[in-house]
Amino acid sequence: MNQKYDITIGIECHVQLKTKTKLFSEVDNDARGKEPNSCVSPVDYALPGMLPRLNGEAIKLAIRAGAAMNAKINPSSRFDRKHYFYPDSPKGYQITQFYHPIVGEGYIELPSGKKIRIEHAHLEGDAGKLTHFDTYSLVDLNRVDTPLLEIVSMPDISSAEEARDYCKELWRNMVYADVTNGDLYNGNMRFDVNISLKKPEDKKLGTRAEIKNLNSFRSVERAVVYEYERQSKLLDRGEKIKQETRGWSDATGKTTSQRSKEEAQDYRYMPEPDLPPLNLSEEFIKAEYEKCPALPAEYRTRFADIIPADTLEVLLDYPELVSRLAEIAANDRPVDYVANLFASVLLAEENASLLNDPLPTAAQLTELAEMKAKKELSSTAAKEVFIKLFEQKHAGKSPRDLAKELNLIQENDSAALEAIVDAVLANPATKKAQEDYKAGETKVLGFLVGQVMKESKGKANPAAVSEILKNKLK
Amino acid sequence: MEVTKEEITHLASLSNFSLGAEEITKLKADLENILRYISKLDELDVKGVEPTYQVFEMENVWRPDEIIAQDADREALLNLAKDSEDHQIKVPKVL
Repeated sequence: MNQKYDITIGIECHVQLKTKTKLFSEVDNDARGKEPNSCVSPVDYALPGMLPRLNGEAIKLAIRAGAAMNAKINPSSRFDRKHYFYPDSPKGYQITQFYHPIVGEGYIELPSGKKIRIEHAHLEGDAGKLTHFDTYSLVDLNRVDTPLLEIVSMPDISSAEEARDYCKELWRNMVYADVTNGDLYNGNMRFDVNISLKKPEDKKLGTRAEIKNLNSFRSVERAVVYEYERQSKLLDRGEKIKQETRGWSDATGKTTSQRSKEEAQDYRYMPEPDLPPLNLSEEFIKAEYEKCPALPAEYRTRFADIIPADTLEVLLDYPELVSRLAEIAANDRPVDYVANLFASVLLAEENASLLNDPLPTAAQLTELAEMKAKKELSSTAAKEVFIKLFEQKHAGKSPRDLAKELNLIQENDSAALEAIVDAVLANPATKKAQEDYKAGETKVLGFLVGQVMKESKGKANPAAVSEILKNKLK
Repeated sequence: MEVTKEEITHLASLSNFSLGAEEITKLKADLENILRYISKLDELDVKGVEPTYQVFEMENVWRPDEIIAQDADREALLNLAKDSEDHQIKVPKVL
């Protein structure tokens, strides 16, 4: 990216918390695959006299999420009303924590080691979903008051890549902390990106534009690249940046103005009189804080020098795989080979469907790794056994039994191997190769090893065969 | 305590309704009276007094995270809306 201007980015992220019920009513919070307006109560409709009833689990998840961003928890927090008029909110206001949020300052550490500070995070209710048509819009209130944790970063991010890395690391931490389903496609985490440019010598930050509602790491990265181009062109021409909200289109790869902030938004915040304040005890906070499980940063430390960093970064997107590796490591068994199988076989495009099947157990994977280490299985055979372990008919089977069944156990018995080698060397078809090798053309050894492998139907250990051949052709 | 016409128009637009000139004049007087009455509170010295958010002295009130069947079903609630289509509330175009 062009470095003519410094880029300053702050990101607000809305995380849908995975509670069973909504933040303020006792209806189903999981509307995935359900009919519009089928998860709605009179409270969500804001019928006269309906009062919000706070969901205790959302408070607990917010604390655990706070732990996953190394944050202080504020013992005292409360709710406020943020007024706006729009059909996605029957109340005419959103219940949020404007003045006293539950999560205080914290930080997210990127894989690069850079820390992005968190300003605060607060609980609030989500809005309904609108679908726009030519002359009208349809309103689905299923999402009204789904609990959201809005996480507000400090403007510590300074490139498109860093913005993407921050969103991804935040997503990973929230998923590992198990506070959200983390399904980006279904909007479980949505990002608003604030971007401003300034000349390196300027002290003051430039005017920012806010790109709303990005729902993938790639869109975040692309939107920042686009905004840099757009804003720098304006600045080059000596024009001013308008402070405004912009939308992003994945299809056009552009941001477009949605509404100007000049007509100052006036939310008329006021304390929510229907919800008493929270004054949480130290013990309550501590108990929830400690429920936060191991996070990606800890796995980076734990697996450093064992799993190559780039492989680990790929695997960290799959908490289930990482926790299986941790299980194997906890039994003092080596994880490097299993990590390699995960990254190169399981996550290979052609095997993508395997991720939907139950993962082999730690015991199965450990046994498979040991067979490979003892050369009872060739690389190819071990991969084959690994893939078969996902099949339902082989569920729970020991890899050794499976390998025997598939006739894949490798021949290491040197007497048996020598017999095969002798047979191959006796074959007139290999005569020329033998002569070439003796004449110094060591490359032909590969051909001879191949012949032995073929003769053994792939069960010979190639390294052992190679040694035997070298001895015999001396 | 003066309330300008612009402030009243602004408030009306935030609340999504329109006001006639007569209504604005009447509201201007009403609002000014209300504010004058409330501004009596400014005479009190509240230095060091914590803001009062609620008067019931309750705290930490929350419910368990359990789904409870609702008395009002989907169609009953949708019927309260002026118009609906495909089990959704139908509203005039907003954007």
